[in-house]
Amino acid sequence: MKQLPLLTCILFCTIGFSQKSIPNSTLTTLEGRSVNIQDEISEDKITVLSFWATWCVPCINELDAISEVYEDWQESTNMELIAISTDDSRTQKRIRPMINGKGWPYKILLDKNQELKRALNISTIPQTFILKGSKIIYIHSGYSPGVEDELYQVIERNKN
Amino acid sequence: MKKIIVLQLLFFTVIMLAQQNDNLSIGFESNSQYYIDDEKTGDFTEPNRFRSNNYLKVDYSISKFSFGLQAEGYEPMSLLNYSPDFNKTTLALYYAKYTSKKIEATAGYFYEQYGSGLILRSWEDRQLGINNALRGGRIKFFPTEDIVLSALYGNQRSGFDVSDASIYGFNSELNISSMLKVNSWNLDLGLSYVGRKEESNNTDFNFNDLTNAFSSRIDFSKNNFYSSAEFVSKSNDALIIFDEIRNTKPGSAILFDVGYGKRGFGINANFRRIENMTFYSERSATGNIYNQNIVNYIPALTKQHDYLLTNIYVYQAQPQVSFQDFALLKIGEIGGQVDFFYTLKKKTALGGKYGTKIAVNMSYWAGLSGDYDYLNFEYDSDLLRFGKKYFSDISLEIRKKWSSDWSSVFYYVNQYYNKRYVEETFGIVKTDIFVSESTYKLGSGKSLRFEAQHLWSKDDKKNWVGGTVEFNLSSKLAVYVNDIYNYGNDDEMKKIHYYNLGGSYTIKGHRFALNYGRQRGGLICIGGVCRFVPESTGVTANIVLSF
Repeated sequence: MKQLPLLTCILFCTIGFSQKSIPNSTLTTLEGRSVNIQDEISEDKITVLSFWATWCVPCINELDAISEVYEDWQESTNMELIAISTDDSRTQKRIRPMINGKGWPYKILLDKNQELKRALNISTIPQTFILKGSKIIYIHSGYSPGVEDELYQVIERNKN
Repeated sequence: MKKIIVLQLLFFTVIMLAQQNDNLSIGFESNSQYYIDDEKTGDFTEPNRFRSNNYLKVDYSISKFSFGLQAEGYEPMSLLNYSPDFNKTTLALYYAKYTSKKIEATAGYFYEQYGSGLILRSWEDRQLGINNALRGGRIKFFPTEDIVLSALYGNQRSGFDVSDASIYGFNSELNISSMLKVNSWNLDLGLSYVGRKEESNNTDFNFNDLTNAFSSRIDFSKNNFYSSAEFVSKSNDALIIFDEIRNTKPGSAILFDVGYGKRGFGINANFRRIENMTFYSERSATGNIYNQNIVNYIPALTKQHDYLLTNIYVYQAQPQVSFQDFALLKIGEIGGQVDFFYTLKKKTALGGKYGTKIAVNMSYWAGLSGDYDYLNFEYDSDLLRFGKKYFSDISLEIRKKWSSDWSSVFYYVNQYYNKRYVEETFGIVKTDIFVSESTYKLGSGKSLRFEAQHLWSKDDKKNWVGGTVEFNLSSKLAVYVNDIYNYGNDDEMKKIHYYNLGGSYTIKGHRFALNYGRQRGGLICIGGVCRFVPESTGVTANIVLSF
C-alpha cells in the first residue's frame, strides 16, 4: 500500500510533463507594494525564480553562489533572477538588512503568507524554477554546491 | 481502508490529467514514520507504531476562475504531537475563486493575513500541524493601483470541522506616496479590523460575545532608510486561567521597526510590546497545546537558528496572561532585537580574495512590569518598564570562502533562557555555543560538508557535542549522518546520543527522503532542505510530488 505513491512516481517522473505557467498570485515588494507575479515576469527573457528564507542556510548558500557569477550570467544570456522570500512575520524584518549586507543583486519579492509557495506545491525550500517567458521549463529543489552550474546550463540551452 | 483506495484512485486519475493539462496542478505530500522502542529513551507506548500524514491538493484554473480542493489522510493515525482531531481520510478544504483586475472573490476555504498577523493570520504548516483556514467568503477590491480593500466572513477550520464562532474581517492598504505621485519617498498606511463572535452563557463577568481587534500600520522609507510601526488593540474579553474565566481584560500590541541598508551593509532594529494578545476562535481553546483555533500570529522576534545545538533553548513569544503561582505572573512581553549584516570587501586584508560575510544578531525579551494581584487575577501594567528577564541571545556568524572549492561558516551564540518563565517549569539556562562547518566541492556535482558543534552550559542538561557529515553525490542525491551527544548530563542514563542517518533524492519538483534515528526535535537541514521535526525514534519517509 505504501509503495503505491512511489510506483506512481517512478511511472510519471520519467514522462515529461506539460509546460505550466506561474499561477496568478499577489506578492509584495520590499517597499510594501502589492504586485502580481505574472506582471513581474518578462515574456522575452529567461527568469529564474528562487524560493528562499532568511533562516534557510542552503537557500542562502545558493543565492550567495549565484551572486558571484550573476554578472557573467546576465552578460551572456538575457536572464533575471527573482528571489522570492517565504519568510513569515517572524523573520520578514531581517530580509532587507540581509540582502543589503550580502550585496545580492536580485529583485526581491515577498510571499508573506506563502500563497504562491502553496500554489506551486512547494513543500521544502530552496526550490528553483526556470521560466522561458511565462512557461516553467525546469524545477530543482534543494541545494548542493555546484547546482548553480546545472542551472546555468539550462539557461544557456534555452536562451534566445 | 476503502477511503485510502478511493483516494489513491483519485490520485492516479488526477495525476494522469495533470500530465496533459496546463491548467491543472497537483501536489502530494506524505510524511510517515514507524516508531520503534528505544532502550535509552523508552518503549513506544502509544497505539499504532506506523503513522502517516498525507495531503493531496488539486488546483484547476480556467480564464478568470480557479477551483481547488485538498484531501487529507491520517492513517492509521496522525504522527506524534499532532492534534487528535486529525483522525481520518477525507476532503478537508475546497474553494472557488474569481480574479479580475479590479476584484478577487473567494468562496470556500481560504488563507489570509492582515499586516504582520498580530490580529489575523490563517495559514497552513504541515510540519506543525497548523491549518486554520477560514471557511466562508472573501472579497478583495482594487479600485486603483494604490488601494486594496478587502472584507471576509467565515468560520475557522478546527480538525476536520469548523469552529462555531464567526470571524469578521476588514482590511485596507493605502499607498499614500504613489497617490500623491511622489517618488522620492514611500508611505503606506494599513488599517484592519477583526471581530470574533462566540456566544457565552457566562453571567459572572461582563464581556461581549463579539470581541473586536484593530490594527493600524504605517510604513515609511526614503533612500536607504526605512521604518514601520503597528498599533493593535483588542477589546475587553474573558481572561481564561486554569481553564476558567477569572476576569476580563483588553489586549494591546505595539511594534516598531527601523533599518538602514546599502550594498554591503545592513542594520535593522525592532521593538515590540504585547499584553494579553492571545486570540482564539473559541475562548475555551485558550492555551491548547496543538495550536488549534488560533486567530492571530505572534512569533518570537529572535533569530531562527540553523544548527541542532542552537535549537535546544528556543524562545517562544509570551503574549498570554498566566497566573501560575504568586511568584510566576505573566501578562505579556517587552523587548526587541537588532540585526547587523556586513560584507568585508574582496581583496582587502580581512576580506581576502573572495570577501568575508558577517552577521550579528542580538535580542532581549522580558516580562511586563506592573502591579499584580495574584488572588484576584488582577493587574495593572506599566507601559514601557521591563520586568523579569525572559531571554537574551547574541550571535555572530562569519562566512568565509577560502578557494573556489572550499568555504566555511563559523557561528557563535550566547543565550540566556529563563526556563521557569518561558516554559513555566524551573531554572535558568545560560549557554555558549560554537559551530564550525566546511564545504568542499569535489567536482561534477559532488560535495562534502562537515559540521562540528559544541554547547557549554553549567545549567539544565549541561554540555553537548555534535557533528554532521553530508555527502552530495550529485545535485539530486544526498546522504548524511549526524549525532548530538549530551555527554555533560549529570544523570548517567541521560547521556544520550541523538543520531540520525538518511538520504534524499530529488527530481524536478519531486522529493523522496528516508531517515533512521533518534530525534531530539528542532530544525534540521538535510541535503539542502530545512524542516522541523518532533522528538521520536524510528524510521521516517517523506514523499513530495508535484505535477
